[in-house]
Amino acid sequence: MLEVKNLHASIEDKAILKGLDLNVNAGEVHAIMGPNGSGKSTLASVLAGREEYEVSDGSIVYQGEDLLELAPEERAQKGIFLAFQYPVEIPGVSTTNFLKTALNQVREARGEKPLDAVNFLKLMKEKMKLVEIDQSLLSRSLNEGFSGGEKKRNEIFQMAMLEPTLSILDETDSGLDIDALKIVADGVNKLKSEKTATIVVTHYQRLLDYIVPDYVHVLYKGRIVKSGDKSLALELEEKGYDWIKSELAEA
Amino acid sequence: MIMQTSLLDSLANKVGASAVQQKSWELLSEIGLPQKKSESYKYTPITAILQKNINWELEHDFSVEHEFFYKEEGSHLVFSNGVFQKESSKIKSDLSIQFGEVSEGKHDPFSLLNQSLAPGELVITAGTKFPVFVYHFNSAGIANPRIKVKVEDGASIRLYEKLISSRQVNTFTNSYVEYEVGRNAFAYHTKVQNYHENVYSHETVVADVQSDSHFYNNTYSFDAALIRNNLVINLDGENCEGHMYGVFILDKNVHVDNNTSVDHLKPHSYSNELYKGILDEKSTGVFNGKIYVRQDAQKTNAFQSNNNILLSDEATIHTKPQLEIWADDVKCSHGCTSGQLDEDAIFYLRARGINEKSAKAMILNAFAVETMQHIGAKTVEEEVKSYIQQKLS
Repeated sequence: MLEVKNLHASIEDKAILKGLDLNVNAGEVHAIMGPNGSGKSTLASVLAGREEYEVSDGSIVYQGEDLLELAPEERAQKGIFLAFQYPVEIPGVSTTNFLKTALNQVREARGEKPLDAVNFLKLMKEKMKLVEIDQSLLSRSLNEGFSGGEKKRNEIFQMAMLEPTLSILDETDSGLDIDALKIVADGVNKLKSEKTATIVVTHYQRLLDYIVPDYVHVLYKGRIVKSGDKSLALELEEKGYDWIKSELAEA
Repeated sequence: MIMQTSLLDSLANKVGASAVQQKSWELLSEIGLPQKKSESYKYTPITAILQKNINWELEHDFSVEHEFFYKEEGSHLVFSNGVFQKESSKIKSDLSIQFGEVSEGKHDPFSLLNQSLAPGELVITAGTKFPVFVYHFNSAGIANPRIKVKVEDGASIRLYEKLISSRQVNTFTNSYVEYEVGRNAFAYHTKVQNYHENVYSHETVVADVQSDSHFYNNTYSFDAALIRNNLVINLDGENCEGHMYGVFILDKNVHVDNNTSVDHLKPHSYSNELYKGILDEKSTGVFNGKIYVRQDAQKTNAFQSNNNILLSDEATIHTKPQLEIWADDVKCSHGCTSGQLDEDAIFYLRARGINEKSAKAMILNAFAVETMQHIGAKTVEEEVKSYIQQKLS
């Protein structure tokens, strides 16, 4: 589904990703771990199409298409979803209104008819249960004054509404208490299928107890330096990142 | 000084004959129209601009078209080049109006100019249960419509103003609307300024507000050559409220200057001001908000905020809050922000599948809409919304 080859990306002339390779197939969950500043969030941002990042080399092919040629909205319309590390507060735009616009523009791009108000609300009610989010929260301004947990839950709620093919969770676990973490992970698990894939970007192993990855990759200095199965995450949790750093230094 | 003399000189033949008008002309001749050094017109050199662009003697035939009327039940009052037109108006039987001699008003230069030149003064006495719509049909170099609204104790009124001008002539409208708001009374004044690009206007709204009364002013500015709005609210009673809301969404070379002042003279009064600006291309916005809290006006709550978004490097905003507080037990706050459109917010919406254009429009629309809660008449609200949509798409 996703093929990242030799990806080099920089922001304001500062090189962050320096030759990253990653293959993700349908049905898989990949965890990207790594110390602070290793480029985890940059990867998530580049996949979603953030324009501040410049891709100087390498390629990203998504479902056979050159992803780098697509605008952020086109990527979303083709099924890529980024759950933001820091969801943006947008005063005056209600979540409901925003999601209706988003969903209908996505549907339009996919050649589907827009949902009318009744069916939209029906869908919303159904998906709200998934992440235990309250109606009153959704009629408020998007993310404005939401707690950290509410913001992250709102991200997963949006994910449920848009039914993406490839979901990228950027540090969705950071700042969540254990109950909120379970709800968020539960939501993500319910949305998984044979046809979809998930990339979980995280600093901590904790989330991976609930969203169990098929592959764990360690990102360090802009490259994936080690890959393994879920046991690698446990090892990292136990030993930290220093052993990987010294392993690399020796090599 | 030469320029100023010549501007007033060229208008001298239009001064009314009454003692009030003669006297105000004398006063105006003494103080003069604002010049370069005038602090309150620092960013809007209106005298020079008028001098350059207006032919005072021009007058063009322009008929009143009822299609411009808002489709609302109420009284629809027509002015043509500053003269009230009873025949063209549609007046509800419960509205009390009278067009007569000019009476004394405020003494700033443009109020005096209006007072000197106005062909008459329309006195509206609140008490109608219907909204009042005032249409200024202008096709002359200069028009000085003048309205006094008397809101007696316990009465209320909603008044809407609209200017329709001929495309053939550069017009200058110097309007003056004065409210006398009694006790426990409510007045709402709303104007929608979406003018032709050859329209120059100086629009004054003054409200003297007594105890337990509320005054609301809403100003929505979109298009013109130049607009200067002077808003003066005197809260001269206890427990009264002054509300000032405005949006300006400008492009091309449009210049809009909102100059507001609220004066808290007695204890326990409240004022709230919120102006939002969105400026594109080479447009210029000016916001100057003065809040005075006099020594007697303890327990005043006064809030002011002006937020601006600049969409182009060539657009300019001058914003200046001014607080003068003599009382010691008051709550006042003010804040001005000017910045670009929030790129993070746009990316967030695009990452959910919303195209860039709609994302920008959504954010700007939400930004502007906050000032629209007190319009009242649905068709006016719809009109403002549609102008906002047009400007932002």
